[in-house]
Amino acid sequence: MPARRTRIVLRDLAKTFRDGNRAVAAVEDVSFEIFDREFVAIVGPSGCGKSTILNMLGGLVTPSVGRVEIDGVGVTGAVPAKVGYVFQKDTVFPWRTVARNIAVGLEYRGVPRPERERRVRDAIALAGLGGFEEAFPATLSGGMRQRVALMRTLVVEPEILLMDEPFGALDTHTKINLHAELLALWQARHPTVVFVTHDLSEAIALADRIVVMTRRPGRVKLVHEVKLARPRDIIKLRETDEYGHEYGRLWHVLGEELAAPA
Amino acid sequence: MTERARVLAWRLAILLVLVAAWEWLTGIKAIARTPGLYWIDPFFISRPSAIARRFAYLASGNARLTLWQMALSTIQSTLWGFLVGVSTGFAAGLVLGRHDRLARIFDPYIVAFNSLPRIALVPLITMIFGFGLLAKIVLAWTIVFFIVFFNTFQGARSVDADLIHSARFLGGSDRQIMRTVIVPSALAWTFAALTPSISFALIGVVVGEFLGGESGGGLGYLIIQSLGTLNAADMMVALISLGVIGIVMALGIKQLERRLLRWRPEYRGRA
Repeated sequence: MPARRTRIVLRDLAKTFRDGNRAVAAVEDVSFEIFDREFVAIVGPSGCGKSTILNMLGGLVTPSVGRVEIDGVGVTGAVPAKVGYVFQKDTVFPWRTVARNIAVGLEYRGVPRPERERRVRDAIALAGLGGFEEAFPATLSGGMRQRVALMRTLVVEPEILLMDEPFGALDTHTKINLHAELLALWQARHPTVVFVTHDLSEAIALADRIVVMTRRPGRVKLVHEVKLARPRDIIKLRETDEYGHEYGRLWHVLGEELAAPA
Repeated sequence: MTERARVLAWRLAILLVLVAAWEWLTGIKAIARTPGLYWIDPFFISRPSAIARRFAYLASGNARLTLWQMALSTIQSTLWGFLVGVSTGFAAGLVLGRHDRLARIFDPYIVAFNSLPRIALVPLITMIFGFGLLAKIVLAWTIVFFIVFFNTFQGARSVDADLIHSARFLGGSDRQIMRTVIVPSALAWTFAALTPSISFALIGVVVGEFLGGESGGGLGYLIIQSLGTLNAADMMVALISLGVIGIVMALGIKQLERRLLRWRPEYRGRA
């Protein structure tokens, strides 16, 4: 394996929110690195500040202490270039059709119309949204809307993809289909992915490494390397002993956080 | 019979009953053969048959100022007042809705001006703008502006922050985000203000016409002139015409809304 290039550095990160007169520490003392083309999942109990970490990576939240660097440049309160972000919440524009939603990032970047149309067509085919080009989001299921959000982000070819529980609101069946699609896309283009989730099985199935967080205030409890071969078959993977082994070990670690007295 | 037809039939039936009762009740004397004593005196509220006669006369070319000329004048002033009010209110709502400090600075002025009864401004507006079209437009504007402004302001403030964030991650500049996120999102709020705006624009214009005299006199002039001659039939002609104008304009707004907001679930499949 060639030497891995460090893409993202989180150094001594801490974030404190004010709640009236009370200061609430969301995360404390978080340091780790993410390599180029790596798929990293952050898991932890709810309220452990994993989304806060992602928002600091995306420049949406300014750290109280510490520093985030992308390609050696500090992220300072502005949205960094080449970063795509998929929200848990539905952020598809309801007033645009599927095709025009997927095209919006290309429009912003001034991509000329013929190329825009070609790339949107490819994205729609890739996501299995054929036939829904002119549909408005209100007519689509939650899973299809999240597919549109995902394709809208991927079509501008971000080098770094931040995902905040993107499949959290979907049913298991839809979720697994989207896992397979996401892995195929990642396999093809290899963006660096930071994926926040509370679903351990999702993290194991998708990620190269998993960062396990403690309860609030969130600290890094464990950084675990997932030793499952690529490319992975999302369905068959779950029947293997290796998967069971990974799951058992991580579940034990995460379980300590869930069971610990609040 | 479909639901639509049933509703329509009921509407028609109510209209017929009301008009027939009006005609009949204003026709029977309270004391037989005594002139002037009616159960309901047509002097005050006229009668459908008398209104229809006046309508036919005013609509014909024989009248000095025809009904069409007056209606056209009212419609013209109303549309101008509406357009100017909506566009300025929309722009101001977007700007203040997205700039907290500006909104805080202007807040007391807006509240103060909006709490003035607009009718109290009529003499001042007349002094400044005279009796013509401009005065009516300004009067309609002072009402419409605020209705549209407040709604758009709320709409621009309540744009989902995550939609703006995701637009930023997709590479949108402030300008592009304004055009592709904030404006379409606020439009849903603005549209809620447009139907009342049409009514208020009409109010402003008619009040202006009360004072405006015959020059470019619209339906408001017809009403005031009928007051001078104690002619209830002509007043009714003007009122009915104003009602029809109001309905047609409101339907126009509804059509526009259906086109521009066709992405909303409530308009699904109806575009």
